[in-house]
Amino acid sequence: MSGGMTGPVRRSASPRRLVAIGVTLIVLLLPFLWLLQMSFKSNDLILQFPPPLIFTPTLQNYASLWQGAFAASFVNSLMSASFSTALALVLGVPAAYALSRWAGRGKHALSFAILVTRMAPPIAFTIPFFLFYRWIGLLDTVTGLVLVYTSFNLPLVIWMMQPFFETVPSSLEEAALVDGASTRVVFLQIVLPMVAPGIAATAILCFLYAWNDFFFALILTRTNARTAPVAVVNFMNYEGWEWGKIAAGGSLVMAPVLIFSLAVRRYLVSGLTAGAVKG
Amino acid sequence: MSGEGLVDAERRRFNRLALAPSLIALFVIAGLPAIYLVVTSLTPFQLVNPGSSTDFSSPLRNYLLLPGDPRFVNSLWVQAKLSFWGVLLQVLLGMLLALLLHTQSRVVEFARTLFLIPMVLPPIVVAIIWKLIYTPDISPLYYAASLLNVTMPSLTSSVDFALTAIIIADTWEWMPFTFLMVLAALQTIPDEFSEAALVDGANRLQIFFYITLPFITPILVISGMFRLIDSVKAFPLVFLLTGGGPGSVTEVTNYYAYLLAFDFNEIGYSSSVTIVMLLLVVAVSLGVVWMGRRREAMA
Repeated sequence: MSGGMTGPVRRSASPRRLVAIGVTLIVLLLPFLWLLQMSFKSNDLILQFPPPLIFTPTLQNYASLWQGAFAASFVNSLMSASFSTALALVLGVPAAYALSRWAGRGKHALSFAILVTRMAPPIAFTIPFFLFYRWIGLLDTVTGLVLVYTSFNLPLVIWMMQPFFETVPSSLEEAALVDGASTRVVFLQIVLPMVAPGIAATAILCFLYAWNDFFFALILTRTNARTAPVAVVNFMNYEGWEWGKIAAGGSLVMAPVLIFSLAVRRYLVSGLTAGAVKG
Repeated sequence: MSGEGLVDAERRRFNRLALAPSLIALFVIAGLPAIYLVVTSLTPFQLVNPGSSTDFSSPLRNYLLLPGDPRFVNSLWVQAKLSFWGVLLQVLLGMLLALLLHTQSRVVEFARTLFLIPMVLPPIVVAIIWKLIYTPDISPLYYAASLLNVTMPSLTSSVDFALTAIIIADTWEWMPFTFLMVLAALQTIPDEFSEAALVDGANRLQIFFYITLPFITPILVISGMFRLIDSVKAFPLVFLLTGGGPGSVTEVTNYYAYLLAFDFNEIGYSSSVTIVMLLLVVAVSLGVVWMGRRREAMA
């Protein structure tokens, strides 16, 4: 983006355009806002039409969620997403560094294999994982979820971190190497600190992907390791249509996502396209 | 020089050490499952019949059954309709949105972030949001229709509208993705191009068709292909909004494979359906990589 240019075509927004943008924004976000306001309403109020514009918000839906089994599932979500993020980073960051400095044959084939892993429909992994976990006793455990989530987070880390490493000037590394430092020391003490922002962005994306998962958790967990997204759907099915609670549950599941993803807005595209397109 | 040789050897050793854990992990958590999936697809494995997991007496049985399975053929057709309309609408609306927001202003820059919300929401929350919108008692949509004296049918349980309802929700969720990609492309168009065209007396529509559109076409195609790949994964929307119904009107291949494996316990057969899906995804992915390379070569 070239700031400050006021050419005849890309001039600053006209009032008409601003109004159009505002109306579009409201229309597009209406479904989302509807869920949010519903979470602060009692069930009677939810069924009331025309909907009152001003009402006394209640936290009753959130409170009753927290007293139920939902809190435990929230913790499960946090744990499985955090651990799989950590595991993927520990394994993937050095690999991405090595790949970014490696011009050998097989780089393209390896990159493609990683891309396919990232693109494969979840069910392709679910069937083998389900059978294996059933056999080894990892069904309905957080450990099981961590391993599955790592299967898509590890390729993501390797893809996303490579461009960050490529921005580190190799002259810096060479100078240290000439001074007698080992590659390991150069990597840990010179290169890693320079890509810290990239690691942070990658970590957040990994966390979000694991946190957003519904399919794996639906099939690989029952009660003990049930994650928040599955829990929300469950009380939809088993506890009747308590819309207020459903809306509150949905709002809680999306809260961390909204906060984190706005922080990594710049990297959203390269994450979603597994690095094939730089956003 | 022997000194450099030593450094090179040390570097290679480091590279091997850095790559090995990831490659081993990827092999174990992605490679082995893929192999296992292929193996299972060659058996008539049912969960209730453990012995069947190693029955390779007629390895191609599942694949031979596929063309004659009306539910499978139908699921491909439903998937094709969902993918076609979803991708088309997302690319088109995403592009329009990007053109609308391609302007310089602090306020608009902040608004851009808000437009991304649907895409970053957990997919299951998107499904819940649209469940609310499609449930007549509590929906602002149905209320608005009643104000206009329009009686709307229950969209998600209607044979005619169920798939449309899913396409609308899917488009809402993923339009921000194409929007973001197109916006990034728009920002790389040099101002001089359109300025020169303006001087030559071109109008806005001409500038769009002769300058902007050719410039962003590659990104439209690539973002469309990414959406095409991901549209195969549409699960939470189908799961929560329609459950594949009414009948099998919204039963996409992914959902059919899920039902086969985890409702009907037909693990072997479901694996073969999944393999077919996987092959389609790989084919499209190869296309994306190929296009990306061509673009790099052209740039």
